[in-house]
Amino acid sequence: MDDSRSDSPKEDDALVLRACNGDHNAFGELVNRHQRRVWMVCRQYVGVDEADAAAQDSLVKAFTRIGDFDRRAAFSTWLTRIAINTCLDGLRKRRRESLVTEEPDDGETGGLLAQVPDDRVGPETRLQQQQTVAGLRDRERDLPPKQREIFRLRFYAEMELEEIARTLDIHVGTVKTQLHRAVHRLRGELGAYR
Amino acid sequence: MNTHLDEQHISAAVAGLDLEPGAGEHLASCLSCRQRVAAFKDLIDARGAQMAAEMPDWDRQREEILLQLPTNPVGRPMRTRRWMRPLFAAAAAVLVIVGLELIWSSTPTSDPAVELKVPVEQILAEVDAILADESLPGFESIDPGVEDPQSYFDNGAS
Repeated sequence: MDDSRSDSPKEDDALVLRACNGDHNAFGELVNRHQRRVWMVCRQYVGVDEADAAAQDSLVKAFTRIGDFDRRAAFSTWLTRIAINTCLDGLRKRRRESLVTEEPDDGETGGLLAQVPDDRVGPETRLQQQQTVAGLRDRERDLPPKQREIFRLRFYAEMELEEIARTLDIHVGTVKTQLHRAVHRLRGELGAYR
Repeated sequence: MNTHLDEQHISAAVAGLDLEPGAGEHLASCLSCRQRVAAFKDLIDARGAQMAAEMPDWDRQREEILLQLPTNPVGRPMRTRRWMRPLFAAAAAVLVIVGLELIWSSTPTSDPAVELKVPVEQILAEVDAILADESLPGFESIDPGVEDPQSYFDNGAS
């Protein structure tokens, strides 16, 4: 579980107040709490290669605009929205038409996943698991943009449904519907998981 | 509920959505259905773990962020929300009206008729005085005391 998920809005608010007065240490603590989620959100929108730069950009923007944080939402929600907007701005600049339509090939099948140790399974099972995960990645790309976005925010950025709704400024019922459709479609296409 | 959950319910459970009471109770008691839910969750977790392996060094990232920060947060120029603009316009109009009212109320109250009375009387008195002053050039010629009117046309020749 992400450290930033241990939501403590009151502590965040206290740190925000100090950061508003230029306290870099306080903002450093806010970064410490939320950088993982910010990166994971950016990872969903701009791909792994640009996620770090986008996350840094988002967090610096958050500091410069921290006086605008009005506490109507949790700091993490406000920050996530900044991250998403930063990514979307970057995508628009590159004139991409939709979210991560050209997501960089991460080479999971032979690369990164193989680095994750899993002593419980043998080589054949591991290879099969790698292929299935790669299949999920590919099917995710085929989801409608809004379903893909909500699916990734829910499972990879580990955001609650209500928080996704606030961040994307949509009704929580829409989030539930889209998420259900995304899961159902992915399960249907990855037949082994039916 | 004795039968297993259908695919819609399994998907809903994977998504973490609330199930109807009967479906929820079945899921809690049915190993088979729980395994179906867990299987897909495990797959998602595996994909998440794959992404976690790509994560940057957080300490390094934090230090780089702190180096980019300005000394103080830069105040963003006041950006008014669209729905607030009419309110600001109305408030500005009220301020202008109140300001003008204050200026007008600070001026001493005066009756235009009274105020104008003195100057008019003065003007009339000055005009009368001028008309009565015979020494003024030009007024001698219309002096009613002239005895020979012909002299008006002599041009000094006689």
